[in-house]
Amino acid sequence: MASLGGSSSSSTEYIVRVPKNTSKKYSIMAFNSGDKVNCSSWTQARMERDMSNRRMYGVEETEEGAAGSEFGKKQREESRRKKFGIVTREFKVEDQPWILKVNGKAGKRFKGTKKGGITENASYYIFTQCPDGAFEAFPVNGWYNFVPQAKHRTLTAEEAEEEWGRRNKVVNHFSIMLQRRLREQERGPDDDDEEGEKGGKKKKKKGGRGGDLRIHDLEDDLELSSDESDSSGGEDGDSKPKKKEGDVKGKGKKKKKKRGSDSEANEDSDDGDFEGLEVDYMSDESSSEEEVGEEKAKSNKEAVPKGIDEASESEEESEEEKQNEEEGKEEEEEEEGKKTPVQTKKKRDSSGESDTSEDSDIDGEAASALFMVKKRTPPKRGGGRGSGGSSRTGSRPGTPSIDSASTSNTLRAAASKLEQGKRQVVGGSSESPAAKRLKMESSSTAVTTQSPAPSGKSTPQPPSGKSTPSSSDVQLTEEAVRRYLIRKPMTTKDLLKKFQTKRTGLSSEQTVNVLAQILKRLNPERKNVNDKMHFYLTE
Amino acid sequence: MSEKGEVDLTGAKQNTGVWLVKVPKYLSQQWAKASGRGEVGKLRIGKNQGKAEVEFTLNEDLTMIDSLGDKPSGVQAPRDHPFTMQTVGGQTLAVFTETQSERISLEGLVVQRAECRPAVSENYMKLKRLQIEELSKPVRLSQQLEKAVTTNYKPVANHSYNLEYDRKKKEEGKRARVDKQQVLDMLFSAFEKHQYYNIKDLVDITKQPVSYLKEILRDIGIYNVKGTHKNTWELKPEYRHYQGGEEEEKETDD
Repeated sequence: MASLGGSSSSSTEYIVRVPKNTSKKYSIMAFNSGDKVNCSSWTQARMERDMSNRRMYGVEETEEGAAGSEFGKKQREESRRKKFGIVTREFKVEDQPWILKVNGKAGKRFKGTKKGGITENASYYIFTQCPDGAFEAFPVNGWYNFVPQAKHRTLTAEEAEEEWGRRNKVVNHFSIMLQRRLREQERGPDDDDEEGEKGGKKKKKKGGRGGDLRIHDLEDDLELSSDESDSSGGEDGDSKPKKKEGDVKGKGKKKKKKRGSDSEANEDSDDGDFEGLEVDYMSDESSSEEEVGEEKAKSNKEAVPKGIDEASESEEESEEEKQNEEEGKEEEEEEEGKKTPVQTKKKRDSSGESDTSEDSDIDGEAASALFMVKKRTPPKRGGGRGSGGSSRTGSRPGTPSIDSASTSNTLRAAASKLEQGKRQVVGGSSESPAAKRLKMESSSTAVTTQSPAPSGKSTPQPPSGKSTPSSSDVQLTEEAVRRYLIRKPMTTKDLLKKFQTKRTGLSSEQTVNVLAQILKRLNPERKNVNDKMHFYLTE
Repeated sequence: MSEKGEVDLTGAKQNTGVWLVKVPKYLSQQWAKASGRGEVGKLRIGKNQGKAEVEFTLNEDLTMIDSLGDKPSGVQAPRDHPFTMQTVGGQTLAVFTETQSERISLEGLVVQRAECRPAVSENYMKLKRLQIEELSKPVRLSQQLEKAVTTNYKPVANHSYNLEYDRKKKEEGKRARVDKQQVLDMLFSAFEKHQYYNIKDLVDITKQPVSYLKEILRDIGIYNVKGTHKNTWELKPEYRHYQGGEEEEKETDD
């Protein structure tokens, strides 16, 4: 070692040695400075290779020898793999990650993954100073990035996706991990002892009510959703009113579980679905259109075969709550025009009040159709405001079964009446419901009509509807009908389909009446095709 | 064995500081050629107006660059290499070593990072050019042959391999049926080793004609469409006695 003195700079020279044969291989252990790792504070450390990737040795199924093994299985597997060109990468021990455990079991854990390509273009050397002042340089063999491993519970990918779908609704985030812990508890009590100790006081608080309490804030839960969301919303941070929540949440859990599976069956929750959702117990109505439509479509289909009583029973609980909410909404929906009766299942659930509110609102336009569908509400809700309501309820129970039969009858009845050329007013009472039913059949799925019921309301209508065939803007003119009938033979049903209420601007009743009138005027020829009466004209 | 996996923390406790230096490839190659005690050069650390300057000078005898191929390169490695000092800010770097006996010890912490750069000189440029030339050579080379290769496949009356095979077959002859009891013994010992056997493998083991073997197998075993690929034979439940490898032989009444 020579030291040179310079004028303004002083420098010292050291000899650099690169020892030739070292038995030790040098590697770098890199920690992120954010983890604040202080190596000098370690009392003891253990480090091993992480062999968890060693599945390549076909450890999969068959044990060696005797039971369950096949003769020559290994060779066969290997030749099969070769045939398909499957190349399994060799399991190199030096490339495996390290597992570093500091300060024993309760200390930190790190996983060190090898960083590739450090020896490709340049080499790293470690310069250490020897006691004699010279530097010794050792080449670095590998670089491992060490990251701390989380000891707290984390969600798996599937669970995380689930929670993500519910993120707008779940307010109490502590419950997520609690749920998971409890679920694990059911499966294996051993694991949970450890978990129980960690998590500190939060766990203790929740653990106390863990047994019978399930916290969740899902408004999709129809029953009791109002109670639960209110109470749990208020107590997210605390855990005090344990008792009160106990029962509520106990029930909630079952529902939650059921709902969990249900919701998966019903719909996918896309992210966008719940935007703008008001987080209320009324959310059912305000949730996305598709959801509503779907549910109603589904439920409506079921509704047809169900009896009234069954339906009423199933919805009894929710009726109280739904009533108020639904009232307002129904009016909106009605006014929009006639949607498919499908949508009215919800109304069906609610009380007669809502029914009758509809009555008063709609002057029997398209509502008749809706009413017919709505007959679900059981007789007990009969006390209504309008006259129609009362009369209707009386007749409702009887009608469902008759309906499908009656519709076809009434079609023929309508057709025959047209032939006979009866006055429409007279036939109006019987005809208009029939005609209405024509319309119903053509445009609705499940028709549950009540024949006499609308008549009371609707009799005033036909005359007015008739007198002014509103052939104004679109379609329903004699000309149009003539055109259709010339082109090909059609049934009354087909004709009605052509002149939909939405397009002509007429109500269903009016359409029917006007059409009947036109047909009377045209007096088309008829023939029977497939047991159906077809009209046609020849020019 | 608590030794294995136990990390020797002396380096960490002493807070030994080391430098991590990035060295160019050619230089490390030259260092590998060092002889004797491994002296490769000198490191000069100076303080010039407050700034630390570090420079490494390569030993004279190590400046000869060997090149690939036969001809001598005539290029010399540059000798002066100033170090660029860098901070260790974003990472905490520790150095650990692993011996062949798999003992791990922590050597120390990196206190300074540096990059060894060659001082730009004629020599260095020549060296670089040499490197580039070598790298730009294509890995694969197309070479035109003057004559077509005719030594590979020649038509042959019968391949030697086939001849071997035929001879072997003749020599072995048809498989002779031996005593049923013997066959059963063979089978049982075979089934001791593995549970499932292919009929072909059993024929191979017992050297019996297939039909005869199948007869015997039908007595003591069952044919298994196991759900896995092949159909295999296994012993009937009453004959087998697997307990992690042990099997008792049952006697059949003949």
